[in-house]
Amino acid sequence: MSYREKLAWLSLVAMAVTYGPYFTLAALAPPTTALPDLSRLGVFAATALSHMVIILVGRLYFMARSPEDARAPADERDLAIERRSKTTAYFLLMAGLIMVGVVMPFTAGGWVIVNAALATIVGVEILRDGLIVLGYRRSMA
Amino acid sequence: MSPGTIANQIRTLRFLHGEMSQAELGQRIGLTRQTVAAIEAGKYSPSLEAAFRIAEVFGKPLDEVFQWVKTA
Repeated sequence: MSYREKLAWLSLVAMAVTYGPYFTLAALAPPTTALPDLSRLGVFAATALSHMVIILVGRLYFMARSPEDARAPADERDLAIERRSKTTAYFLLMAGLIMVGVVMPFTAGGWVIVNAALATIVGVEILRDGLIVLGYRRSMA
Repeated sequence: MSPGTIANQIRTLRFLHGEMSQAELGQRIGLTRQTVAAIEAGKYSPSLEAAFRIAEVFGKPLDEVFQWVKTA
């Protein structure tokens, strides 16, 4: 498995174990108080921090395991897979931004919009990382 | 447009060049070992520049390394 595919898997796992519980909590127990809800902000801060720590520790682990691969610049296949993944994820980002920034202000407010914006960002990252993994698995670009 | 695939002789040429490893070939042309493996397996079509670089390493013309094979 290539170094960059490992990073994509790391990102997917980190998203799943941090933002998965966060959005589950947001769906099961939506915040009812108006912004700012400090306890919910605390949950989000802990989620974002956990995500950063997992990514950082994972990258350091992979760098220690295969330092040559980590130092090597992306080659043409890496760049092609990355470019294709970003192009596809861009359309989800646009759709999410239109929903959050244009439609939702007329139908929702506060935390619903905040969490929808976060869900868009997380969804776009998951799609991008998923397509990167798929690109490497299929070995085509 | 007639369908086809790109075949290659990289595995054979590596063998004929002292069992050159995929990593060594990749290092000489600026690709990762995984990308060389994908090219060799026919799962990734390299850029024209990469194809010429591979041919140059083996001292062969391009069409002795890569061939267009019609499938229909």
